[in-house]
Amino acid sequence: MAPILQLKGITKQFPGILANDHIDLTLGKGEILALLGENGAGKTTLMNILYGLYQPDEGEILVNGEKVTIHSPTDAITSGIGMVHQHFMLIPVFTVTENVMLGSEPVKAGDFLDRKKTAQKINEISKQYNLEVNPDDYVKDLPVGVQQRVEIIKLLYRNAEILIFDEPTAVLTPQEADELFNIMRELTKQGKSIIFITHKLREVLEISNRIMVIRRGKVVGEADPKTADNKKLAEMMVGREVNLVVEKDIKKPGDVVLSVEDLVVADQFKNLVIDHISLDVHAGQILGVAGVQGNGQTELVEVVTGLHKAVSGKIAFKGKDITNCSPRVITEAGTAHVPEDRQADGLVLPFTVAENLVLCSYYQEPYAHGVVLQYDKILENAEKMIKDFDIRTPSPFVSVGTLSGGNQQKVIIARELSRPIELLVASQPTRGLDVGSIEYIHKRIVQKRDEGCAVLLISPELDEIIELSDRIAVMFRGKIIATVNADEVSKETLGLLMAGIIPEKGEIASKTEKVVEATF
Amino acid sequence: MKNNKNDKQDLGKVILNEITGEDPKSPKKKKSFWKKIEIPFLAIITGLLIGGILIGATSQSVYAGFAVSIWSGFAALGKEIGTAYFSLFTGSLGNPVTIIQALQSGNATDIRFALNPLLESLVKSTPYIFAGLACALAFRAGLFNIGVEGQLFIGAAAATYVGYAIKGLPSYIHMPLAILAGAAAGALWAIVPGLLKAWTGGHEVINCIMMNYIAYRLTTYLLTGPMTRPGGGGMPLSPMIEKSAYIPQFFQSPIRFHLGFFIALAFAVLVWWILFKTTWGLNLRTVGTNPRAAKYAGLNITKTIIVGMAMSGALAGLAGANEILAVNHSMAIGLSSGYGFDSIALALLGNSHPFGVVLAALLFGVLKNGATRMMVVSSIPIDIVTIIQALILIFIAAPAIIRAIFHLRSSKEDTAIVTLSSWGGGK
Amino acid sequence: MSKKLIVVLSVLMIAAFVLSACAKATPAAPAAPKFKACEVTDTGGVDDKSFNATAWKGVTDAMSQLGIDGKYLESKEVADFEPNINAFVQEKCDIIITVGFLLGDATKAAAEANPGVKFSIVDYGYDPVIPNVLGQAFQTDEAAFLAGYLAAGVSKTGKVGTFGGMQIPTVTIFMDGFYKGVQYYNTQKGAKVEVLGWTPADGTGLFTNDFSDQQKGNDMATSLMDEGADIIMPVAGPVGLGAAAAVKARGNAYIIGVDSDWYLTAPDYKDITLTSVMKLMDVTTLNAIKAAMDGTFKGGTTMGTLANGGVALAPYHDLSSMVSADLSKEIDTIKAGIIDGSIKLAQ
Repeated sequence: MAPILQLKGITKQFPGILANDHIDLTLGKGEILALLGENGAGKTTLMNILYGLYQPDEGEILVNGEKVTIHSPTDAITSGIGMVHQHFMLIPVFTVTENVMLGSEPVKAGDFLDRKKTAQKINEISKQYNLEVNPDDYVKDLPVGVQQRVEIIKLLYRNAEILIFDEPTAVLTPQEADELFNIMRELTKQGKSIIFITHKLREVLEISNRIMVIRRGKVVGEADPKTADNKKLAEMMVGREVNLVVEKDIKKPGDVVLSVEDLVVADQFKNLVIDHISLDVHAGQILGVAGVQGNGQTELVEVVTGLHKAVSGKIAFKGKDITNCSPRVITEAGTAHVPEDRQADGLVLPFTVAENLVLCSYYQEPYAHGVVLQYDKILENAEKMIKDFDIRTPSPFVSVGTLSGGNQQKVIIARELSRPIELLVASQPTRGLDVGSIEYIHKRIVQKRDEGCAVLLISPELDEIIELSDRIAVMFRGKIIATVNADEVSKETLGLLMAGIIPEKGEIASKTEKVVEATF
Repeated sequence: MKNNKNDKQDLGKVILNEITGEDPKSPKKKKSFWKKIEIPFLAIITGLLIGGILIGATSQSVYAGFAVSIWSGFAALGKEIGTAYFSLFTGSLGNPVTIIQALQSGNATDIRFALNPLLESLVKSTPYIFAGLACALAFRAGLFNIGVEGQLFIGAAAATYVGYAIKGLPSYIHMPLAILAGAAAGALWAIVPGLLKAWTGGHEVINCIMMNYIAYRLTTYLLTGPMTRPGGGGMPLSPMIEKSAYIPQFFQSPIRFHLGFFIALAFAVLVWWILFKTTWGLNLRTVGTNPRAAKYAGLNITKTIIVGMAMSGALAGLAGANEILAVNHSMAIGLSSGYGFDSIALALLGNSHPFGVVLAALLFGVLKNGATRMMVVSSIPIDIVTIIQALILIFIAAPAIIRAIFHLRSSKEDTAIVTLSSWGGGK
Repeated sequence: MSKKLIVVLSVLMIAAFVLSACAKATPAAPAAPKFKACEVTDTGGVDDKSFNATAWKGVTDAMSQLGIDGKYLESKEVADFEPNINAFVQEKCDIIITVGFLLGDATKAAAEANPGVKFSIVDYGYDPVIPNVLGQAFQTDEAAFLAGYLAAGVSKTGKVGTFGGMQIPTVTIFMDGFYKGVQYYNTQKGAKVEVLGWTPADGTGLFTNDFSDQQKGNDMATSLMDEGADIIMPVAGPVGLGAAAAVKARGNAYIIGVDSDWYLTAPDYKDITLTSVMKLMDVTTLNAIKAAMDGTFKGGTTMGTLANGGVALAPYHDLSSMVSADLSKEIDTIKAGIIDGSIKLAQ
């Protein structure tokens, strides 16, 4: 029997880059094929070709042994290929039914949309594949995990046989990711075939039947998840030896650098999002704040860096009160901030790499004399940073938006860490990055800590928190429910704490008066 | 020395690179010259072609020709369109034959007269340059200054007042003072919507439109009241400004070519320098491109918005002051036929780059000036040129149409021109 | 494909240019050069249904009656006046007609720079006189006086209304005359007809501050009718048509047109146009052209009056039944009185 999908010699050239170089791929029925590769390796290009968003320069696509040409997503769906995008293509103010119907509306006699029929079919699908969802819910009210289910239902509703998942776990909590894996297994059991794109090694080993690794547009090898291990896959991806474990010595912390006392913060709707928390970060110490996203970590960072105002409480940097100071005052005092959303906050995408590298200091000497920018100095700095921080860019003049995610993050890291700082606030510094970049950024953060800098690290990735932190504070519903030494706590305990369960007591931590809604 | 020469030769290329935002040092494959000007060029050609069809369709002689035979119809069509565009061309750039004859004769007066169409086009371009710069600068700061028209009126009124009310100053003080008054008044007028946006989040588009209405009525009141011409019988007309406040014209009447054009060019360079070479400019552009990152980088967004509006308003005020001090020498209603609104299109056409604005303004000036000649020679209403202008703009703003007509391959890079972040409704 | 298309287009363009250049190069048969009358409009444009259009009618009348050439240039803004006039100077026009006070300065400058060219300016006059400019001014209040008297005599509600486009002399002179005509009626007949929308004593009245937005005319007329006015004279160019529309929609009220005979120029409103206060700029323009042709042209200002027919009250046309024979006779008497000076308007 012919494999359900075959790609032969797919080649795609973009100006200056060969995104796909004669890629062959075979997908069997009922198989989960993991497509592993660093950001920019060409995975997404390949999938966009398959989904009809790009046309290949060379090569052919065979579905069930028959050659097909895919000019658009509609063609792809007709050929039975569907894609669950990393950023959902859902309309928040529509119901699940309406979202599923969109684009293939069944019409009753006359011109009325037949919601009932669609809802019925959604119920059938959700029963068949164990995809629990209420067709009448509005998408905006659904948690991210369920929204993803709606995406999957959309594809099944259109009779997709081949499902492509593009980095599906990037937006999910660990629990939600586990649920997704169960769904994927269920789907393949019933004969659907899946291509799973990721750069997270653990997930690949857990879920896939077969692993294909892509590097720089080429297939560099296949692996069997039963025999492969993390290290070997990482090396295939990156093309060199990778150190997955962060090496760091135990260090005795110094003086308190950042001290937060009894802090209370409300969001723009006046909901309490930080509920009387206190914490200290010492020189030469990494304090990790663990917690599922939306439990007040974002606001904590914003208040400390001056982007958001506190209701009450005190924040002190080296003993000096900086509560509700402007971001510039706080920055100039000797702090650095790696923001959670690098594209929205950390960079001005159309600006050049050189300009972004001085985004927080361009108005100071030597980058400006009076009001006149000194582009030679800015350029000098850029060239040094590009070298020191290994930023892969064609030149300091290209706009930063054209760089890969990892290199964009390196621009921020370079800018923030190269200044003389005593406090680093790093919020999800490796979000969405590949193994090579993660390794590099971890090394840099630890290096800064070793130099005596205090580090406040926020991350929903448990592995990252455990590996980097000296001490860990767990946030749940706006409160710090536990602070522990990193080497004295197990992953399981932390997982429970993140879910609000305090192990000794075996109960859910006290709720705040106002429920803090997770915001997406 | 040799280096210097090279620089000069490449100036055109450098400017082109500046406007298209291409970095000459970037190793990326460079677009060919043709690629870069393809869309604007074809847009102009297409606009003229459709304009030609309109000219033909509204011409009696063409219908008469077709009534006789197809060939005489086409002949009449060709003659109509040919005459129209020939007069548009000679009216705006000069008649090559006359120019050559004048040059050969060596008579300075003849040469000036032969070149006058071109010089007059520059005169017509000047207010467009100022107003276009005003819009472009605001765009770069993420602001949609639709209030340029009102700021222009207020700037003109202030320049007029300083121009006639102060007497006995030497020209080198009076003229700059009047120009400055125009700029300051325009800036003050623009600061109002700037403050409203910065403090209350009120959208500048709405507030600018309202400020326009106030400006129109206020100038009408001023011109019929406090600023009316003594002995003018209460007509909405100001006194003539003092000679010392004139922006000097270089030649004798009827050649109006004046220093204001070079002032406008100087301001284009100044705006370019501010936007791309100073911290102020970087502030403006950062706030305009990504206000969240600006906040993160510690910028004072409120202040930047106000400064941005003030600078934009000052340029708009200069447009008005220039018209009064260099051309009209007194103020009346009917000062502007919509420079403030044309300038929005013009700024977009110029990619919100000061040098692009200058080129776009020259195009507008040429078309506008040529239209007069076209009207004289073939009695084609001036409105046809407005239509041609509009068509060209539509084709440039929607390059997909041009690509579809000429079967060009689309390139992913030519997408949106300038991000107007403030349009998302965010502060 | 695309390249080919571009080449073809370019060739076409160039061919058009060359052809037209050739057409230019071959000189037309040297006929006797025709007399050329050229009009520069103000910012209203040639089809403003107001003085620009009326003056242009004078030129077209001259073209059909005298067989001359006529051209016009529209100005979009003040800065266009000077080059437009100069374009006609270069075009060797025999007389250049400029329209409106806005062109006052530009006309003066051009006339002084080109003493050999004849100019005539509508609705404006120079003091001291410029030898090669003929100003055309109008004693519009004389005709408006008659209209006021007529309105007062016809009104059933005892209230008549007027409004202006802008508070400038050329507009308020209509309203002044209208007001005085009503007052004259009141003193003659001991009546108490009220004028809404203009009080000359303190110079307050209704103005749209706009000569183009007909909706504003509609609003003004509606509120005047709400106040009880049944005869309305809008002095606001095309804005007046909005007033006419409002009156027609409401009924029971009538319009007095201005500038031209609206019965003829706005036939939609025939049935509600009582009369019109005509300012015959076409006649004065035609006269200026004639004078320039026969060599009697002299600088100065012609004043259009009831006496010389420069201003007039239009016939009542279809509504003549509304005007009693007595009233009609009284108006003729007043007209004669104004002409012979026995009735004086100026106070």
